Amino acid sequence: MDKFSVGKHISGKFNEELDLIRNKALTMGGLVEKQLSDALKAIENSDTELANRVLENDYKINQMELEIDEACTRIIAKRQPTASDLRLVLAIIKTISDLERIGDEAERIAHVAKASFSKDQEHLLVSLENLGQQVLSMLRQVLDAFARMDQESALLVHQQDANADRQYEALTRQLMTYMMEDSRSIPKIMDVMWSARSLERIGDRCQNISEYIIYFVQGKDVRHTSQESMENTVRGRTQS
Amino acid sequence: MITLNAHNTNEKLDLASLSEEETALRIENLNLFYGQAQALHDISMAIPKGKVTAFIGPSGCGKSTLLRCINRMNDLVESCRVDGAISLHGKNIYDRDVDVAALRRRIGMVFQRPNPFPKSIYENVVYGLRLMGVNDRRTLDEVVERSLKGAALWNEVKDRLKESAFSLSGGQQQRLVIARAIAIEPEVLLLDEPTSALDPISTLTIEELITELKSQYTVVIVTHNMQQAARVSDQTAFLYMGKLIEYDDTNALFTTPAKKQTEDYITGRYG
Repeated sequence: MDKFSVGKHISGKFNEELDLIRNKALTMGGLVEKQLSDALKAIENSDTELANRVLENDYKINQMELEIDEACTRIIAKRQPTASDLRLVLAIIKTISDLERIGDEAERIAHVAKASFSKDQEHLLVSLENLGQQVLSMLRQVLDAFARMDQESALLVHQQDANADRQYEALTRQLMTYMMEDSRSIPKIMDVMWSARSLERIGDRCQNISEYIIYFVQGKDVRHTSQESMENTVRGRTQS
Repeated sequence: MITLNAHNTNEKLDLASLSEEETALRIENLNLFYGQAQALHDISMAIPKGKVTAFIGPSGCGKSTLLRCINRMNDLVESCRVDGAISLHGKNIYDRDVDVAALRRRIGMVFQRPNPFPKSIYENVVYGLRLMGVNDRRTLDEVVERSLKGAALWNEVKDRLKESAFSLSGGQQQRLVIARAIAIEPEVLLLDEPTSALDPISTLTIEELITELKSQYTVVIVTHNMQQAARVSDQTAFLYMGKLIEYDDTNALFTTPAKKQTEDYITGRYG
């Protein structure tokens, strides 16, 4: 049952409804990915205009969350989905909530991009770049895994978060050193710190989405389990 | 402190290894033939005591046939031949020395369409007891009250017990039939699509009643309505073309069925 197909219901309308929420969730994912990538670009190039665009576009993501939620509610009320259909609807409801929060984090990063940093403070922003790219790549991969409902790719994304966490810790230590060296720059460093925190949170949310993908495919809830047991679930091994 | 209602606990039984005490009925390698045609193929399953077990599947899959095997209703069909065993407390009900009338007192049945007798409400309920020779007024009165309460009908009919059973609505008639079935205190209650002829509100009343009944009886229900099976049963068996495809805890079967055929059926896909 690991092959992803929404179709083939006797009710063609039900097919359409499931396709609709899935496509909308993918569109929303694309939008969120663009927001994050723009926010990171805005930081990198100190591009206030781009940062403003990110701030303006956040409402679109919120709007999509409401729309998809409503469509999912309608499906539950009218179709009483079961088995993989039910899991798809639940996975989508949860995924879009995480996507919306990723959108909020991108908005926060865009706010920092608008703040003016002096020449000798710009190196602080550079340090965000690595973490930013790492998290953006996780988001891309998890959205790709979501589109194909590919649990193996989802597992890979899940495993990458440890790396993002390590980078975040290293960055925090570095920023603390800067604070100790020059206390006047603390407010600016705090801005960078909050952005780093936002990126780290996005990594966690990508992990959540991977868990929903595994839940959809396997029907097993892998939240709050160890990496090893998650791997066993995906590979279909029985756990001792 | 939160205390869970007994009906809401999700205690999962291991259906493959039920102990004798937990088992109401054990079906073993059951095959059924109508003449040359085989309607049931090698069915083995254990039906747990004090639980609601649902049989689901498309029309003609054998679910009603299987239900009828449990109280030997198929004996009435001339060309029907059964091999295999169904044990009630370790005793095969298909053994030669089994008294079928006595068996049907222990395994009651309710059909799709309410079938009250053309008698008063009171006489419908005590019909089985009268057949058994019970005529003591006090005993009969007690049984009528207890059975009608058990079938959640007492409050609606207590003032008109002498009226004809046909004066009741469809949903009330079905509950009356259930009261008639439980009046003789069977161990197992078989329900063959008990709500398919009823309106949605009466259906909910009967479903609520089924949940109540399982505290005293083992209930086996055949239903075309999958959501009903999901709502009322503790375990569900999916049958297809006379074969038992999957038998599992209802929560598991409706969220993560193990077999593709089950998945296709419950999600409404082409097989």
